[in-house]
Amino acid sequence: MTKKTSAEEAGTRRRPAMADPLGPNSEIGRKLKQYYDDLVSDEVPDRFASLLAKLEEAEPAPNKD
Amino acid sequence: MAVSAAFKADLLGAIPSLRAFAVSLSQNADRADDLVQETLVKAWDKHESFQPGTNLKAWLFTILRNEFYSQMRKRGREVQDSDGLMTARLAVHPSQHGQLDLKDFRAALEQLPEDQREAIILIGASGFSYEEAAEICNCAVGTIKSRVSRARTRLQDILKISGEADFGPDAIATQVMGSSAA
Repeated sequence: MTKKTSAEEAGTRRRPAMADPLGPNSEIGRKLKQYYDDLVSDEVPDRFASLLAKLEEAEPAPNKD
Repeated sequence: MAVSAAFKADLLGAIPSLRAFAVSLSQNADRADDLVQETLVKAWDKHESFQPGTNLKAWLFTILRNEFYSQMRKRGREVQDSDGLMTARLAVHPSQHGQLDLKDFRAALEQLPEDQREAIILIGASGFSYEEAAEICNCAVGTIKSRVSRARTRLQDILKISGEADFGPDAIATQVMGSSAA
């Protein structure tokens, strides 16, 4: 009874949910965002800031043209 | 022309997203950070080819993606069989019955082919439009749509199976064997 076929539900619903199958109404969509947000919020190692600093130092001086 | 401070700040700001995309693509944290590093160096070198006012994040993702595939070609596709991937993939089975947790999801995502995985990540997680994703992946919008749709179906299949109590280690082991032998 409570077992709804998600495919059928998604297929018959003609609403924005249809247009966005990965939206908040979709379990896959939610997990996908959770997975990704988890990665995005990971602390950024210092190596990247120092890399950019190094690249900046390596830039030719602007007055020497 | 020197790299502007604004450009540098934007690069810094994009790092968390770049890392997330790199991990999603490579499924390996160390390799992901190497990819991000390469991407930053390349972006810095060719900053003049970036058109201000256009989407910097999309531009960076394109560089990172190209770097990923070029490294993969060089490595002869051993990317998919890295230790990290195997471990994570094997880790599907001991999870709790029924409950779809992040670990299950991660393991399912790893089983997707790269083209499907990147498509569903770009659309479903990174917040790009189909048009932007098509540009990043250098393919048609319709191709992205079909990859996303296939990825979604595949994830649903995998996750439905992994939620069932009778889904034991053997089935996973078979998949792992199958994929590493292929």
